[in-house]
Amino acid sequence: MEKSVNAIMPGLTARVVVNVGDRVEKGQEVAVINCMKTEIPVNSEEAGVVKQVLVKEWDELQVGDPMVILEI
Amino acid sequence: MLQPLNDGSGVMIKKVLIANRGEIVGRIIRTCKRRGVASVVVYSEADRDAGYLEEADEAVLIGPANPLKSYLNIEKLVEVALQTGADAVHPGYGFLSERGAFAEAVVHAGLVWIGPAPELLRIISSKCTCRQMADQVGVPVVPGTLKPVAGVGDVVEFGRAHGFPLFLKLDKGGGGKGIARITRARDIEKIYRQACSIGSAAFGSDACYIEHVVPRPRHIEVQFVADRFGHCVCLGERECSIQRRNQKIIEEAPSLIVTPADREKLFDWTRRLVLRMGYHGAGTIEGLRSEEGDYYFMEINARLQVEHPVTEFLTGIDLVACQLDIAEGKPLAFSQQDVSLRGHAIEARVYAEDPDTYIPSPGTIHALYLPEDNTQLRIDHALRANAVVPPYYDPLLAKVITWADGRDAAVDKLIEALEAIRIEGVKTTIPTCLKTLRNTLFRTGDFDTSFLDNGVTPGVH
Repeated sequence: MEKSVNAIMPGLTARVVVNVGDRVEKGQEVAVINCMKTEIPVNSEEAGVVKQVLVKEWDELQVGDPMVILEI
Repeated sequence: MLQPLNDGSGVMIKKVLIANRGEIVGRIIRTCKRRGVASVVVYSEADRDAGYLEEADEAVLIGPANPLKSYLNIEKLVEVALQTGADAVHPGYGFLSERGAFAEAVVHAGLVWIGPAPELLRIISSKCTCRQMADQVGVPVVPGTLKPVAGVGDVVEFGRAHGFPLFLKLDKGGGGKGIARITRARDIEKIYRQACSIGSAAFGSDACYIEHVVPRPRHIEVQFVADRFGHCVCLGERECSIQRRNQKIIEEAPSLIVTPADREKLFDWTRRLVLRMGYHGAGTIEGLRSEEGDYYFMEINARLQVEHPVTEFLTGIDLVACQLDIAEGKPLAFSQQDVSLRGHAIEARVYAEDPDTYIPSPGTIHALYLPEDNTQLRIDHALRANAVVPPYYDPLLAKVITWADGRDAAVDKLIEALEAIRIEGVKTTIPTCLKTLRNTLFRTGDFDTSFLDNGVTPGVH
């Protein structure tokens, strides 16, 4: 089953800290959002394997935008 | 088209492109209007609501919210300046204001750059180079390395010889980014690697240097203006010790802790360093004062500073007008003897942030009330009711500045103004500012840069 990790704040993508194929644990940081120049970590709510990275640095984000797809 | 001004031959700026966003745009437009200079503003798709778009003579959409494609897009900004017939570019603060490559592109396009020379901006973008220059002219720098360290071994060696804690700082860092505190030897390797990777990603350089931790430091800075004829005039100091996350939130002048003799010494250091650099324009020398009363040079900010209104209230001098005069190749219209520092001025920065956690709070402003400016109150902002505060840029919403004969009266006026402000729809740091301004230790001048980190409890410590 697929599950996306979504933006929890609006802003810009600061970075994605995982790569396709990486094993991710529940609660692990997968990406960082730059909201008004403050870095906000985005943690995975599930354990799984990174299937797809949907965003890159500087991409604009709204709350709920998918950033990373996990196979769980 | 104008030729780049290197000889101070003098031209008249008639139309300025303002390469920035937010409150500083309206600030620059005001001086332009007073001088009969036309203004061109640029905006991204996220800033369509900005109040200043109507105040400017022209407003040009330059791209999407992503700052790389709008406010940091050098090619686009120069293109718009040429298309609109602007003859000068004012970079404001932040964004491209201290970027040598932008200044160079502006000058190459035949436009006047309102700021220090592009070559100088490139040189002083290295904090180590600035530290070396200060050292050469006898201005004390925060103890540490004058050159970037060659590798992790140097940091280990320094820690062994001088002890901990120490700061590892990026040679090209800024905005409070890339400052790491090392408290023990076994953390060095990890912290060093992290700093290098932040430096490479954010500033294009992984060079780091070391500074000792100054105990209970106070942030003291000197505002100066320098022309192309070797005149440098100091416009007083500002104390900016009240900070959150290494970023200022309350600034005032004069500082309670700076004595007249200290002030003379700081002015002398400033003049020596500015003349050594061959700097022209407005700028700020940032320094630290230790608990023992020693002052150290920290860095130079080669632009208009966010907190410049404090100095404008104190001196009655329009700093943006000074910048335009200097860019036009004119000598300064005043000397050090003409400058009088009158009364007390204080500024509170209103950020769109949770007042307790400092987590950003973008959103839509549903209701807005700001008191009117008067001779002792000034509010610089770009706010409007029903406007969106976008999540993509700096959280600064407004600067509230008051002036009075003495500090207590100025602080009281600031409290009164902040209490009167209504901003609904986003959280703001107004409660943080009010708590600070009412705090007994703040009122008596007993504080340092860790004030807000220690938690503000009015009257109790």
